Amino acid sequence: MKRLKHCKIYLAILLTIIALFLSGCWDSRELDKLSIVSGLGWDIEPDTGEVTLTYQSIIPGEIASSAGNGGGGGGQKGGEPLRTIQLDSDTGSSPYDVLSRYTQHGSRIPFYQHTQVYVFGWDGAEHGIYGFLDTQARNPVARPNVLMVVSEKKASDILGVQDGMESIQAVGMADIIKLSAAFSKYPAITLLEFQNRIMSKTTAPIAPVIGIFEETGVEGEKIKKIRINGTAVFKGDKMIGKLNERQSSGLLWAIDKVEKGYIDIPEASLEIVKAKSRMVPELRDGSIIITIEIDEESNLLEYKGHQDMNPDLISKMEKAQAEEIESQVKAAVQKSFSLNADVFGFGEAVHRKYKKEWKALEPKWDDIYPYLEVAVKVKTHVNEIGDVNKALMKD
Amino acid sequence: MLLEKGKVSGFQLKALVIGFVFGSSVITPPGIVAGHDAWIAVFLGLMEGLLIAWIFTALTRQFQNKTIVEINSLVYGKILGTCMSALFIWYLFHLGSLVLDHYVRFFNLEVYPATPKTIILVLLMLVCASTVGRGIEVIARCSLILTAFILLIVVSDTLLLIPHIDLNNLLPVLDVPASQLLWAGHGAASFPFGETAAFLMVLAFLNKSESGSSAIFGGLLTAGFVLIVITARNAAVLGGLATISNYPSYLAAQVIDAGEIFTRVEVVVAINLITMGFLKISVLLYGTVLGLAQVFNFHSYRPLILPVGILMVIVALTEHTNTFEMIEFINKSYPVYAVPFQIGIPLITLVVAKLRKLPQTGGNQL
Repeated sequence: MKRLKHCKIYLAILLTIIALFLSGCWDSRELDKLSIVSGLGWDIEPDTGEVTLTYQSIIPGEIASSAGNGGGGGGQKGGEPLRTIQLDSDTGSSPYDVLSRYTQHGSRIPFYQHTQVYVFGWDGAEHGIYGFLDTQARNPVARPNVLMVVSEKKASDILGVQDGMESIQAVGMADIIKLSAAFSKYPAITLLEFQNRIMSKTTAPIAPVIGIFEETGVEGEKIKKIRINGTAVFKGDKMIGKLNERQSSGLLWAIDKVEKGYIDIPEASLEIVKAKSRMVPELRDGSIIITIEIDEESNLLEYKGHQDMNPDLISKMEKAQAEEIESQVKAAVQKSFSLNADVFGFGEAVHRKYKKEWKALEPKWDDIYPYLEVAVKVKTHVNEIGDVNKALMKD
Repeated sequence: MLLEKGKVSGFQLKALVIGFVFGSSVITPPGIVAGHDAWIAVFLGLMEGLLIAWIFTALTRQFQNKTIVEINSLVYGKILGTCMSALFIWYLFHLGSLVLDHYVRFFNLEVYPATPKTIILVLLMLVCASTVGRGIEVIARCSLILTAFILLIVVSDTLLLIPHIDLNNLLPVLDVPASQLLWAGHGAASFPFGETAAFLMVLAFLNKSESGSSAIFGGLLTAGFVLIVITARNAAVLGGLATISNYPSYLAAQVIDAGEIFTRVEVVVAINLITMGFLKISVLLYGTVLGLAQVFNFHSYRPLILPVGILMVIVALTEHTNTFEMIEFINKSYPVYAVPFQIGIPLITLVVAKLRKLPQTGGNQL
């Protein structure tokens, strides 16, 4: 009995010692051995199919010191702008070939858990990004809510533009996209949404397009900035065209992505406070009619005339808004017809309602799509007119 | 001679059934073969599962306080009864190794890519073995706490995913051919609902034997309802990706993003698997060793725990060479393979017992 007791004590000591050495898992990775990738750029050479990956990585020490200086992104150290990000670029035949080359000069392993944006170069997007989509779908580290962006130039150019209020450019870029989506200008498309659009055989994937523009600073120096310029339209994994600002808004109205934003009509400016849209497909004697029903409510921000408010004026504004929204949607529809890309998911809407007929329609959707009849019905309502109900200055 | 002195209450059994059904299905909800109609397949599977449960609870009502091994020897006699018991024990053992395989593949792919599979499995098996050694009562009491905890996690997971749900992803309803839907439904019945046939080794130890059926049915209905919700949620959140992903619940949890602060919580889904997998493997290991001990008339099942546990780990490590093989097995072979064990043995035994008008001396004899 006594021996057994001793045994137990020895065992306890042994286990305690073992536990000391076994803390943590095999995969433990220390922060100072990782390069945290904030943005990943993806360029493809159209002729050779060679892939160039651009990693925008965060330099953690610099972020901490810039925060300490209270300077944010504009922090300065000895007259030099702070380097909060580092760009690394490599070319190879496939993404993992690129990664193997990266190890020839990189000191830390890229770590993708905090990636904010995937940027695709224009040529690469036109060439097709299936290689990217496949690697991301397989990779357990890839997060589904990373934003997708197409760059007007090369992805590596965009990722190098240090701009704005954020110290890490990719974070700033993600915020720009989110803000433009919140104000219903351009869609914010996550990897998950892109994958889902591509998995539907008819719906065309979309992504915002970002371009670079130059501004002259106070001392005459050139400052590079980035801005969203349109919505890229894909057919399958290949980009085939771009929607402009007006068409992008129309697209958002049709796919029920409008939440708030501003709407401009000849006589007034209004703020959208509530918006809802619905796609109603109908098969009638062999032809397909899609009705987009939009309900919108808005508040008056600016009235450009000098009249006092009256019911006629309000109903006139409501009507003008409805016309404006309808024309935006029509513009998007026309553009998508000319590209023959179902950016709205009309096909899926038909599928949801007419699943039997859809089996015959799906294979020839490309032939049907440009000849769809699309009707837009908009109901608008002006909720508020602001703090005054008469004009400040009469004519 | 009593191999098991512990007693399980009806409520504990219900919690244990819920935990057992969740097992590995909580990360890979069944019925995926039916595409976005998977939730309907799970519903059909639940119905079939209830039917299976009706068969084996009828058997235990007939022979109260007897495990399937004892029932077999009563019904078929010594030799044939032992053969039947051996088949059933093989199923419990093999199912245990399948769950281990599923468990370790998930962890190896998503959470611990560099940790050797053996280490993950041995650590899990040590915990299971020590629990099984303390008897069914301890497993059942564990299940109360763990299942309540997991239900809480699943509910909060689902609530956090509500903003990301797009019900259009579930339309059109019944998009797949009927045969495919039925096959998916049967698949959902065999994994996980029908697997509750393993409780033929546990139902004997209820403190009130008449509460057994209601606990099994109650557990199946609760777990089935939660699984239907999870499956529909995954399809609604992930769209088409839910039908091609190996671990859709994990992927769905990656989408959770409450105000950009409460995010990256997918590891919580891994906790579901750790705890529920532990319960399921414990029950299966317990059934296997208790069955073996009863077949060989041992005085205790405890010496068998470690050897059987080690064998289970070895089979788990060697039976599939990659995840694709495992998924193919679950979707294509397992629904057929499981039928003789989940339906066959209990049903035949029940029929033979009725024909032989057993038990003749009343069910309560120990």
